[in-house]
Amino acid sequence: MIKLIEKIEGEARLNFSFDKNKKIDFVDIEFFSTRNIENILQDKPALDALVINPRVCGICGHAHLLATVKALEDCYQNIKIPKNAQILRELTLNFELIQNHFKWFYLTVLPLFGYKQHLLKATLPSQTIAKAIATVGGQYPHTSYAIVGGVVCDISAMDIIKIESYIDEVISYFENNIVVAKSEEFSECDNVEKIMIKDGDLPKILLNIKEKSWEYVGKSYDRFITFGENSYFQSGKSIKTRVSKNLNTDDVKEQLNQNSHAKNVTYKGKYYEVGPLSRAMLKKTPLIKDAHRRYGDSIFSRILSRVCEIPQLLKHSKKLLQEIELNQPFYIEPKTDISKISACGIGIVEAARGSLIHKVELEKGIIKNYEIITPTQWNLSNGEKKNLGISQKAMIGESDISLAEIIFKSFDVCSVCTTH
Amino acid sequence: MCKKLQILWLSAISCNGNAHSFLNYPQLDVFLDNFEFIYHPIIESDYTLEDVINKDLDCDILLIDGAISPEFKKMDEPIINIVDRYAHKAKKIVTVGTCATFGGIFSQSGYAYTTGLHFNQKNPTFLFKSLKDKTISISGCPIQPEVLASTLYAIKKDIKLKLDNYLRPQEFFAYTVHNGCTRNEYFEYKIDNHVFGKKEGCMFYDHGCQAPFTNASCNKILWNEVNSKTRAGLPCMGCTSPDFPKQNLFKTKKNMGIPQDLPLGVGKRTYLTLAGVTKAFKIKRLEEELF
Amino acid sequence: MQTKKEQKKEQIIQNALSLFAKKGFYNTTIPDIAEALKMSVGNMYNYFKSKDILAKEIIKYISIYLGGKIREVNEQDISTEQKTKKIIELYFKTALSKPEMIDYFLRIYLSNREVFLDGCEGMICVNEFVTEIMIYFEEGVKCGDLRDQDFFSAFGLFMGYLGGMVFLKGENILPKELDEYVDDISYNIYKALSV
Repeated sequence: MIKLIEKIEGEARLNFSFDKNKKIDFVDIEFFSTRNIENILQDKPALDALVINPRVCGICGHAHLLATVKALEDCYQNIKIPKNAQILRELTLNFELIQNHFKWFYLTVLPLFGYKQHLLKATLPSQTIAKAIATVGGQYPHTSYAIVGGVVCDISAMDIIKIESYIDEVISYFENNIVVAKSEEFSECDNVEKIMIKDGDLPKILLNIKEKSWEYVGKSYDRFITFGENSYFQSGKSIKTRVSKNLNTDDVKEQLNQNSHAKNVTYKGKYYEVGPLSRAMLKKTPLIKDAHRRYGDSIFSRILSRVCEIPQLLKHSKKLLQEIELNQPFYIEPKTDISKISACGIGIVEAARGSLIHKVELEKGIIKNYEIITPTQWNLSNGEKKNLGISQKAMIGESDISLAEIIFKSFDVCSVCTTH
Repeated sequence: MCKKLQILWLSAISCNGNAHSFLNYPQLDVFLDNFEFIYHPIIESDYTLEDVINKDLDCDILLIDGAISPEFKKMDEPIINIVDRYAHKAKKIVTVGTCATFGGIFSQSGYAYTTGLHFNQKNPTFLFKSLKDKTISISGCPIQPEVLASTLYAIKKDIKLKLDNYLRPQEFFAYTVHNGCTRNEYFEYKIDNHVFGKKEGCMFYDHGCQAPFTNASCNKILWNEVNSKTRAGLPCMGCTSPDFPKQNLFKTKKNMGIPQDLPLGVGKRTYLTLAGVTKAFKIKRLEEELF
Repeated sequence: MQTKKEQKKEQIIQNALSLFAKKGFYNTTIPDIAEALKMSVGNMYNYFKSKDILAKEIIKYISIYLGGKIREVNEQDISTEQKTKKIIELYFKTALSKPEMIDYFLRIYLSNREVFLDGCEGMICVNEFVTEIMIYFEEGVKCGDLRDQDFFSAFGLFMGYLGGMVFLKGENILPKELDEYVDDISYNIYKALSV
């Protein structure tokens, strides 16, 4: 049985097959059409990638920009990126994540549980946080303000105050809509039941899940991986709750997929989940630890962990903002011009949906090869029956394909990224 | 109570950037009192994509977002067939973004003959020639939400917009990105001391800024109501232009020190004479940090 | 069509040029120039308020003259190599037919900078001339004939070379006429500047 899933930054087709008990025993995930970004980049001057790559995606293009600039900088032997630039890059990345999560929750999740899509609840906080990005990067979407050597902007004390008030506005928005509570209380909470008794759109959904007895639905391998370490996220892999560090990107392998334009990706031959749940498992966020202890890697934990990142990132961003030193540079011109660089580089960041990896090969400043591995490729790898991908495993065993769609969308799918 | 105009937002070879940029329109609630999306890639609509392709829906305005190609299919249906069907039904067509207008970045996607609806970069296309009279182009990568919304309102109110050679409303596209940039003084006095990471300096001389010859209102209608690329210190990439993207975007192409692309309408001799005059003087205030 | 005033101005300039060439800049006074034209000194001051102003107007006049000639070459549909030769030809032709012009440029404009400090900053008074040389270079680089380099390196090579030859001619050191050197000099300059 075929189901078309739309409004996931594009579309996908799920082809379900059922066993004799009418339970799903396999799902073939097909993504259509690619734009061949990796080919578009071929033979282009290196810095042009900073303009082309945000156009991989309209909602997480900023993560692509940051992965690109890191990959290019990785091609240098000695390059110094000023601390102010690193802080601003992390801040704008956080802002993009926040905007993604709000949109996913109000535009994608609410309708899945029978509620009408609440457009303005998604756009209001997104517009505010986009202003914070634009204050630094000039515009959002599609800025290229992070360049090799730092960032292009030169912000002032007044800009910092403005950004802080945008953050405060979004915190207030969260506190009045998503979970009616002080976001401090939410950040420090370690018991999901305390959240469920609050007012707000998140408790409403979580209660709905429990009412329908869906809290254990959507479990996969309980296997998580996060590559993009920064001042907030920690890298490593977590098999159930057992964390191990020291990941090697050489063990990340892509495979072509017969029917789909999306490639599968594995780490040491195994499929792993990426995204907010994975990040929370690695950070051992108390609230998610509790959810996972009760319900494993189900849709409950997945939805909670994604929404949970909003106040955490807002809080962390306020802290980061204070670390900017205005008398320090935002950009240091690299000693070697990029036209003289022939080397390979990798750039990794945590995009909204999970780890994003960019690999570039330069020859005298010209791109000879470019590889992009997106988070949705990880979560939605289209494995075979004997070795299912993460979301496939999560959907197996259910009989209701509407529920299967909910499980699928709990991964926050980005079709354009996946097929790039 | 006036009737809402029915809009079909059809995504072709696109990144969805325009759809998300449009969600940044400040008065979305008022907009949705005046218009209704019969289909949109993000906003909930009464109809699904399958309905759009298989049924014959009524639509007042067709928005095309993304480049088109005879080879590209949306759910097994060639996009040009979908465009053809709805374009003839709709009263007005709007190409949203540089890809839909000129081909843009995704004209290099590898599909056969990928172009904008009426233009392949600067050259006209012929497949949909008969629809030119009812098309308005809004180029940009992405579009500015205010520009798209205002154009749709103009259609609703039956306001006849003056269009340029590329069918873009002159109200927005007669301006250059240069109009309103806070770094103008450095341009005026030809001070070519710009370095990245500084609020001073003009990026036209060395860092590839295309603002003086790019048609758009970025520094007039700011981005996200607060800023613009050039104000922030990022050169204009010429994203509304037919030949976007050029190459070596962060570098100004110069021949023996003279920028190859000059401000719109300014002749070479005029430019060089002005440059010669201004280079003779030093304005101390503009050679130093502002504060 | 020039007005009567403009015609008179041009006449004054041309006469001033000959006098400067013969007697030298500092030895020539406004009354000297007035006398040569059978004008009253008072009338002279109607056209040029001071000798310094006259000096600046003269350099602009020369710049416009030479610039106009080079522009004619620039606008021809010929190769960069041919343009190079034609520019050198016209420069030497001017040196031969109007020696006082080139003489003024080398011996007065370049050598008495203090006269031109105020009102002729940088290269603004030779704007038309410099602009045309810039256009010759720019179009040469654009079509791939000339090597892209710093403008002043190329300018110094071109103008220094030509100026040097004219100077040597003025000192009566050159055995041959200037126009007999055109071929060799065009070859040298084009070879040095081309890709």
